[in-house]
Amino acid sequence: MNQITITIDGKKCTGPAGATILNIAKLNGIEIPSLCANGLVKNYGACGVCVVESESSPKLLRSCSTEAADGTVYHTDTERVKKARRVAFELIMSDHEGDCLPPCMLKCPANSNCQAYIKQIALGNNKEATKIIKETNPLPASIGRVCPHPCEKDCRRQHVDESLSIAFLKYFAADKDLFSEDRYKPEAASDTGKRIGIIGGGPAGLTAAYFLRLQGHEVTIFDMMPHMGGMLRYGIPEYRLPKEGILQKEIDTIEELGVKMVNNYKIGRDISFDDFRKKFDAVVIAIGAWTSSSIGCKGEDLPGVYGGIDFLRRVIEGSAPAIGKNVAIVGGGNTAMDACRTAVRLGAENVYVIYRRTEAEMPAEKVEIEEAREEGVQFKFLTNPAEIIAGADGKVKQMKLQVMELGEPDESGRRKPVPVEGKFEILELDSVISAIGQHVDPAGMNGVELNKRGIIAADEASFRTNLENVFAVGDATNRGASIAVEAIGEGQKAAKVIDSFLRGKEVPYRMPFVSKRDPKDIDFSQWESYPRAKMPTRAAAVRKGDFLEVNKGFDPDDAVKEAFRCLECGCHDYKNCELIRFAQQEPVLQPERFAGEKHPYFTEQKLVCIERNQGKCISCNLCVRICDEDVGKGVLGLVGRGFTTVIKPEFNNKKVLEFCKSCKKCAENCPTGALKVLD
Amino acid sequence: MKRIVVGEGSCGIAAGAAKVFSALEPLVSGDQNIRLSITGCIGMCYLEPIVDLYEDDTLVQRLVLVGENDAPAIAQAVKSGDFSGVEHLFIKEEDKEFLSKQTRIALRNCGIVDPTDIHDYERRGGYEGLKKVLTSMTPEEVIEVIKTSGLAGRGGAGFPTWFKWNAARSAQSKSGSKYLICNADEGDPGAFMDRAVIESDPHNLIEGMMIGAYAIGATEAVVYVRAEYPLAIKRLESAIQEARANGMLGKNICGSDFSCDMRIKAGAGAFVCGEETALIASLEGERGMPRLKPPFPAQAGYNSEPSNINNVETFANVPWILANGGEKFAAMGTENSKGTKVFAVTGKVRKGGLVEVPMGVTLRDVIFGIAGGIRDGKQCKAVQLGGPSGGCIPYELFDTIIDYKALTATGAIMGSGGLVVMDESTCMVGIAKFFLDFTTKESCGKCVPCRIGTKRLYEILTRIVEGNGKEGDVELLEELCKAVKDSSLCGLGQTAPNPILTTIRYFRNEYDAHIREKKCPAHECAALLHYHIDEEKCKGCTLCARKCPAKAIDGIAKKPHVIRQDSCIKCGQCYAACRFGAVTVE
Repeated sequence: MNQITITIDGKKCTGPAGATILNIAKLNGIEIPSLCANGLVKNYGACGVCVVESESSPKLLRSCSTEAADGTVYHTDTERVKKARRVAFELIMSDHEGDCLPPCMLKCPANSNCQAYIKQIALGNNKEATKIIKETNPLPASIGRVCPHPCEKDCRRQHVDESLSIAFLKYFAADKDLFSEDRYKPEAASDTGKRIGIIGGGPAGLTAAYFLRLQGHEVTIFDMMPHMGGMLRYGIPEYRLPKEGILQKEIDTIEELGVKMVNNYKIGRDISFDDFRKKFDAVVIAIGAWTSSSIGCKGEDLPGVYGGIDFLRRVIEGSAPAIGKNVAIVGGGNTAMDACRTAVRLGAENVYVIYRRTEAEMPAEKVEIEEAREEGVQFKFLTNPAEIIAGADGKVKQMKLQVMELGEPDESGRRKPVPVEGKFEILELDSVISAIGQHVDPAGMNGVELNKRGIIAADEASFRTNLENVFAVGDATNRGASIAVEAIGEGQKAAKVIDSFLRGKEVPYRMPFVSKRDPKDIDFSQWESYPRAKMPTRAAAVRKGDFLEVNKGFDPDDAVKEAFRCLECGCHDYKNCELIRFAQQEPVLQPERFAGEKHPYFTEQKLVCIERNQGKCISCNLCVRICDEDVGKGVLGLVGRGFTTVIKPEFNNKKVLEFCKSCKKCAENCPTGALKVLD
Repeated sequence: MKRIVVGEGSCGIAAGAAKVFSALEPLVSGDQNIRLSITGCIGMCYLEPIVDLYEDDTLVQRLVLVGENDAPAIAQAVKSGDFSGVEHLFIKEEDKEFLSKQTRIALRNCGIVDPTDIHDYERRGGYEGLKKVLTSMTPEEVIEVIKTSGLAGRGGAGFPTWFKWNAARSAQSKSGSKYLICNADEGDPGAFMDRAVIESDPHNLIEGMMIGAYAIGATEAVVYVRAEYPLAIKRLESAIQEARANGMLGKNICGSDFSCDMRIKAGAGAFVCGEETALIASLEGERGMPRLKPPFPAQAGYNSEPSNINNVETFANVPWILANGGEKFAAMGTENSKGTKVFAVTGKVRKGGLVEVPMGVTLRDVIFGIAGGIRDGKQCKAVQLGGPSGGCIPYELFDTIIDYKALTATGAIMGSGGLVVMDESTCMVGIAKFFLDFTTKESCGKCVPCRIGTKRLYEILTRIVEGNGKEGDVELLEELCKAVKDSSLCGLGQTAPNPILTTIRYFRNEYDAHIREKKCPAHECAALLHYHIDEEKCKGCTLCARKCPAKAIDGIAKKPHVIRQDSCIKCGQCYAACRFGAVTVE
């Protein structure tokens, strides 16, 4: 056969005469995106994403169906080509109705693949589930217990009845694995010889360490406290997360992977930051936010006033302060709940939560509020500390509370509390715990740039600080303290960036483009209601007297039933989808620019073993053409014109379906998840 | 011989010509001196039905806007030779100019010959060109004459006809078959040139096609006519039988060695089948969807054999060119556009109809000189040339000449001949939306830029005319238009954005008014209109309230009325009904 030579993007490419530009490119290792071409069928040229420019033609050419001309110079990356390709993808996506990934996974700051592990739980494969979880999160038993689970806020099941109990399912599967004979233990890749120093052994630092170690790097975590775990260990009460029983076991797994751990070591005290940096190829700052914010009222410095996280840490360390019988906790978040319930367990008789808004506005988890109430905590809504008053001994004696009411909504959308003039209350107290926020103490990190709020500034895509080879993640950066899974997400994403950097070609983190559905467009009436599994807990009267874990964990039957409630929103074909693979290679697509009518999302089973989803079909017509040209059956055809064109049985005649011989070639060659082979 | 000729094109029939014919028939059937016959489309739609009175071949009087009740007077006038009884039907001098200002080549027999009689065609020199070709010329010589004439494809693209013929002639056929195809899938809204030619002068088309068939060596000729043209199909079918019976089609045409037969394929009315590769797919029994070129039809067309496709008007010029010589054709027109062009003039003009003019005359000559300018004393605003693939040319550019290059430079195209004239009451955003509605529905659905792109363009235009346009929408339209033009598979998508791009280019202010001020300057977009009653002018006659279908007008007799804006459906009935000018619209 005659060989021809063409030039593509400056590279000489040879191939057989008569071949298309696309095929010669492929033969020479150049990939041009293409969705509707396939060796089984004739040239077609529908999707328009494969266009290239030729120096000898004024028109854009469809590389999938244009014969390459000997000696011609082609370009796949001119501005004109890029623009045409981008618009083609945006147009396709504007009429592609489907969720690439489930909303729970997209909402999770660590992008935990909830749908995938929940499916494994439903099938009884807890080890497989744990393996999937650990692709994004090395501390699932711990996080499954304490996570405020943003995933559940976006769970579509809530439109049927209630969200899935995603976090507790994670807790269930991870526990099953943690206490099994053959725990899931991934192996680190072979040594790269690169050394990484991580400052801080909290969730962010542990996670970064885990994923960097998996890549074969030598990783050491340095932590100022006697134990690893950071805020998971020192900021969360034992009754929510057993430290030795659960957390330490998970940390041990990370250590077994080969991560070195050094405790009681503080940068700036035991070594200067500059000297520390010199010892590593990369440094990750993950020091967290360990300072409590003060209340900001008169008397806040009195003896008997404690910071929320300081209080929790001291209890965990075994040096709980004497808080007395009457305790007020200021704040409405999860730390406030941890503090008040801890105070109950320390024997306080009157524990008050002072919150300036109402229960509806409380940021704490609903279940935490309920459980606190069960344990006897008294909520003083619409009150705010005006002054903490000392007794004769100079210690806290009373708190003067300003009574509040809700006014206009503020920027956050919550109604702003405003004082009711002249209306006050007095509480008799022995101590006050301030749980209204926490701050970063960057002492020791000499030369690292801080933002206006005194928090370490790190690039959101590269996690780099202003210093060369110094990265920063977690509570210590940018927006400050957040939830543990957020820190885990950052540690995991930063690990990828740092690994790519250490390998010589840094790839910043970018949330990949995905197709998403709006729940408003979904008919949820097709699912039957089935109630959410309740987490069994120890009785309030019993548990309030000790620090043993409140939750008892799901019964295996309940876990499986709960897992079966999953609607499986994410596309079955995400990993094999050609459309999304190519779309993600593009600069960020904005199909919403072209938002308009879409083909409706529904599934139908017309062929014996194939389920078809109209919403995901991009009308590449490969199924129609393969059935006709390759299989020789012609079972499928196009019906309608223009935008309304849809794929149906040929001539819209159901009788032709009888000719289908279930070869499945249509589904196997579908470039999206529109056709699914049913097992 | 006295002859009464009734114009029976589809348009004449629609206006009542067949009834006029039926009324005349019994009145003159007994008279040996009078012959009653039909002809095709005379071209003056606005004066139909038309009855021509001939003395032998001399037109004695043309009667217009004839009704069936006029039949006795017409019969009496023809019999007596005293036309005073039908004076009121005489065509006005001014209207005679509609035809006298034209130069008719493709339409030369339209409205004159009887389309159902091959001998009538032959009496006017019909089939002379074909006989000359078959008896004295080689195919190469024929192609040379066409090359000399400068004839270019009249379907719109303006590609040199000789080049296509030559390519098809040179191409090797695997089976020995070559095909000549006539594209009569005339689909532009407002275009009816091809229909008129087939209905009025079918033998001219057959002769032109046979000359082409001889030139390329075709073994079969096919006319692809849209099924919505039943009269054209009927007349062409009978003309084909006549031609075959008279040796002008089939085996050994005119006694020569050349054989070629012809058949009609009725298309199912998909606009895209006017695109040649889609037309071929349709001929082959496939869904009418375009294919990528190359291969071009001349290399691998119908049945994968060499095929040549020309438009009706192109073929209609061919017999004249062969009879009169290529030079004579080339003498008309401009440097790069030779001969004449037929336009179907419609819209807000006083005189709508078929106009054939030499290339090089101005749009003003056609619209004002021949078509009489704008109706109802309104201001002319623009003309849409080339239908949904074309563009709007504003009144300010009416001195542009009819010439492929000059028209393309305005952003419009020559097109196949649709010429829609618009006045000040036409919203240009609305016009763009109208055409996009058409192309969106007529897109075959194969390629993404056209299938989804035109849909999105239509959606953006819709939100603009409904008052929901956003700042940046014009730029978004422009970006998407460019992408659709650049990446669509066939001519339909590649030209679909033209109406938007030209209206943005010349009437950007109207887009801005819709988007920013939520106003339609032409007062056409209902969603942006507001009707009010002027308290001072309103007499309280209650007429508007009674007419209002939405019961949106409140008021008691003899007191000023008020329109409830939230109930008003903006139908304009109050505005039309008010006798005191009290209802205003803005």
